[in-house]
Amino acid sequence: MSNADTLTSPARRRGGGVGDLLLSELALLFRRRRTWALLGALALIPVLLAVAVRLSGSGGGPSFVGDIAGNGLFTGFAAITVAVPLFLPLTVGVVAGDTIAGEASLGTLRYLLITPAGRIRLLLVKFAVAAAFCLAAALTVVVAGLLIGLALFPVGPVTLLSGTEIPAIDAVGRALLIAVHVAISLVGLTAIGVFISTLTDVPVGAMAATVVLSITAQILGSLSQLSALHPYLFSAHWFGFGDLLRDPISWASFGDNVVLQLGYAVVFGSLAMGRFVTRDILS
Amino acid sequence: MNPSVKRWAPFAAVPIIAVAAAIAIPMTTNAAQDLPEKTPQQLLEFVADSDVTAFSGEFTQTSDLGLPDLSSLGSGSTTGADGDGFMSALVELATTSNDARIYADAEQGARLQVLDQLDERDVIATADDGLWIYDSGEKTALHVTHEGSSDASTPPADVPTPSSVAEKLLDSVDDTTAVAVGSNGTVAGRDVYELVLTPRDETTLVGDVTISVDGETGMPLGIAVTAEGASSPAFSVAYTSVDYSTPDSSLFAFTPPAGVEVTEKAIPADAHSDDAAPDDSTTPGDAAPEAPDVTTTGAGWGTIVELAAGEASASLEGLDAITTPVDGGRVLSSSLVNVLITDDGRVFAGAVSVDALESAAR
Repeated sequence: MSNADTLTSPARRRGGGVGDLLLSELALLFRRRRTWALLGALALIPVLLAVAVRLSGSGGGPSFVGDIAGNGLFTGFAAITVAVPLFLPLTVGVVAGDTIAGEASLGTLRYLLITPAGRIRLLLVKFAVAAAFCLAAALTVVVAGLLIGLALFPVGPVTLLSGTEIPAIDAVGRALLIAVHVAISLVGLTAIGVFISTLTDVPVGAMAATVVLSITAQILGSLSQLSALHPYLFSAHWFGFGDLLRDPISWASFGDNVVLQLGYAVVFGSLAMGRFVTRDILS
Repeated sequence: MNPSVKRWAPFAAVPIIAVAAAIAIPMTTNAAQDLPEKTPQQLLEFVADSDVTAFSGEFTQTSDLGLPDLSSLGSGSTTGADGDGFMSALVELATTSNDARIYADAEQGARLQVLDQLDERDVIATADDGLWIYDSGEKTALHVTHEGSSDASTPPADVPTPSSVAEKLLDSVDDTTAVAVGSNGTVAGRDVYELVLTPRDETTLVGDVTISVDGETGMPLGIAVTAEGASSPAFSVAYTSVDYSTPDSSLFAFTPPAGVEVTEKAIPADAHSDDAAPDDSTTPGDAAPEAPDVTTTGAGWGTIVELAAGEASASLEGLDAITTPVDGGRVLSSSLVNVLITDDGRVFAGAVSVDALESAAR
């Protein structure tokens, strides 16, 4: 995780308003080799899935994987199903956990705070950039899945869960909608990651804690004894994207998910602000 | 005041408000509403006169019978597309929660969608195309047609809808049941009357049954069964949203997609009425199709259902781990329903105590 190349980046020293700061932070994130490595690893999931199905030539397996051989567009659905429980939270944990703690460990945090943006705005910008990564990550999985499916398998009308067939172009639209749902689903985890990142100067600790929390939430979500708690877990609607593959689309879980993630963003966002505003910046 | 505490205060207040709102908002939605007062008798007639013929809605069914999770014992598919649906559908109803959508139109038919995570089970009943049962996970479809008759469509009965269960219950209201009007509430964003049915029968485990009736249309929107002495419902179905406009006709046309294994099944016209779900039962799950031979003893709330030795006991074999041995058999006990499996393979079930089941078995 060498950030040596980013230290000399002129963009971040430019200062100015929130817009400039946001642009420079976005550019910083997406110029990083680590970000591309994370996105590349995510893109590998559908490629591996498609190649495995192509080589073995057999159906069956978990949701959607068995459909890939008949219709390449299912690679996108299968890949996002595989990526949601572990790979996406892992990459989001890395990015969100690094936001503040990464700057602190490199000693660049105090320089960032010299800009007139102020601590709260810096935190908001850092959160927005991490949320943008969520969207990029989800889109990477889905788009890579659609492309590799297009390359290796025949493509045709897609059968929805309700048994209705829709044209291939509509299915691509639904796949992109799924990417949006999954990206929104990860906003709560991002807020938690940013909060943990304000607590420490050790970015690896914040990353690990975020990823562990995402796994803990899913374990709690699988215990039927805790069913009263389930609707409040940030992972409650992680697999709710299936509702976008019904006819007609069931928007209930999409809406519930937006409210839930917004709640997490507000709660952990303000905790992060409270911590970040009151903390002594020593590095 | 400590300066760091002072600076923390506004940031700490926001999460507290957010958490308080998350707890408080669901509670306030059940506040009492203004509806014209009705006596129990008027309310029963209101429901009977309800003229809703077309609607769509999403509903949730939950069961909290104090049973362990039996999902590993079921055969996975519970739509009955493979013919052994009855017992596994019962087991599923008793132990899990389901989200489902219903589209109904008296002129076109009805469609039920059970919304499983990343899967879906559909039941589509229309007057001219018979009954379709589709399972997206198993990739199977069952097409049931009635030979020589195309009269009334069979209502989808695999998962009880609030309306079908409530109407069934209200049909059986007689002098064994005390009917009262409870406090008004809100279901699916609509003001509802609450009709509380309390069994007069001392032997039953059912404490009371609460039926929520739409204050405008008279359609039952929710039903909750509470066991004797319990505070929260053991079984409930309630709409989370409901819409009284006519559903799109394309929803009732079903063509099995490519790659789906279709089973055709024709039922002779005269067997049609015998095939209906058994009545006189207080267990909503009994509405499942393809019931094995059933005899009932007792009446009203204390009814005991007896399944003949044979097919039913075979599908209950896996239950050994969670049943307790009693004199002459094994008992599966829950807060609302008890099941006695005798040593000779007969199965007795009812919302009554184990003692009552044992005496029925003798």
